[in-house]
Amino acid sequence: MKLFRRAHRRAPSYGPDSTDPVLLTAIAAGEAEALEILHRRHAPWLRARLNYRCSDHDQVDAALQETFLAVWKNAGSFTPRPGDTDAGAWLWTIAIRQLISQLRRRANRWISDIEAEPYETIGDASAEDTVLLNIEHGPLGAALHTLSPELRAAIQATVLDGLTVREAAQILQIPEGTVKTRVMRAKARLREALTS
Amino acid sequence: MSGWHLTPAQAHDYAARRSDEITAMSVEAHLMHCAPCRSLLPADESWLADGWASLRDVVDRPRRGPVETVLASVGLRAETAKLLAATPRLYQAWLGSTVVVLAAALFAAYLLPRGSLMFFFLAPVVPLVGVALAYGRGGDPAHTLASVTPMAGQRLLFLRTCAVLVPALLLCTGAALLLPHTTTAWDAVFWLLPSLTLVAGSLLLGNWIHLSAASGIVGVLWLAVLGLVSLSGQTVPVGVFAPQAQACWGVALAVLAGMLLLRVRMA
Repeated sequence: MKLFRRAHRRAPSYGPDSTDPVLLTAIAAGEAEALEILHRRHAPWLRARLNYRCSDHDQVDAALQETFLAVWKNAGSFTPRPGDTDAGAWLWTIAIRQLISQLRRRANRWISDIEAEPYETIGDASAEDTVLLNIEHGPLGAALHTLSPELRAAIQATVLDGLTVREAAQILQIPEGTVKTRVMRAKARLREALTS
Repeated sequence: MSGWHLTPAQAHDYAARRSDEITAMSVEAHLMHCAPCRSLLPADESWLADGWASLRDVVDRPRRGPVETVLASVGLRAETAKLLAATPRLYQAWLGSTVVVLAAALFAAYLLPRGSLMFFFLAPVVPLVGVALAYGRGGDPAHTLASVTPMAGQRLLFLRTCAVLVPALLLCTGAALLLPHTTTAWDAVFWLLPSLTLVAGSLLLGNWIHLSAASGIVGVLWLAVLGLVSLSGQTVPVGVFAPQAQACWGVALAVLAGMLLLRVRMA
């Protein structure tokens, strides 16, 4: 019996300065202190960013709690890209999904919650990413300024937050078709502004 | 990636929700990849501490083992499942010795003439020894503590007995299937009714004397009777397991179980 009990993975040694992948390996092995370090490191910026998506602080806090609980349960499923020492993108994916299901649960409590899709890291260094990193200084900033707030919100949800059309529709509380047309219109408008 | 980084003022504005939308988008795209800039955001210490405190409440709960999860999914209550899953710790040594004894019995059955008699003798006693160890002062170091909880008494006794009987019966059935000349399912379970009868007998006797003593008495009686039968020249103690005898065992088991129920009701 003793043999079986000790069989689970040994935690690597970690400290407050360890990289995210090391901490997540430790969390997967059941180390609560590693989760505390990760919480201290990532909760503030996740909270700030979620606050831009939802003005209800209680819901944001609840979503963050759920996020770190999901990390506690699923830390083993984190697979860093080679050379990547940062789990920010992965954590954000979980956090925004938790916020969406939080809002949905609040909106219709009597409908049982649909299980979210497995977490995948979003925000590969795509062309969109590279452009986004220079929003303020590039021509994109000026182009975005010309968009109406509705179109900008649609672009933000689908491109910057990496949500699917369905998830974007849930967080913006508009029909999916509307999201699609708004994204299409916004992209056309941006293309126009950037090529002219 | 780029030479651009947040200024502390920008970080504070962003955290306080004062950034305009375009700046916010820009900051967010940058924060996703830049750990140093993330740490520029002001951290609310008391909020962090509160958040961690409520997280730790959940995280520190012991994780459920596989046995417990299976038992709970079958529909048992969480406390009962935990109790049943924890009980085997009490009789680890018994579990080990059961395997050894059954292996020895199998060994004898294959090597000695009429060696399978040893299995006939032992199979009903093995669960009995487990039951003796699962409850009471002798086997449970925490018995004094457990005996003053609402769980204690008959309920705990029966739960623990179940936790012992299931592995014991599985092990014995496994061993019986490995015996030479096992041809039918009947050959694998002939010892089951005598075994259960002995357990019920010792539980009933446990009402008046210590459970370990009761099991000891019943076990010794069983071995003595079998020994006498084989010594008296009646070379077929196997008759104890014959189909007619099984009917008697069944009746005895029913009577003993009924008496047990009656005792529990009256208590």
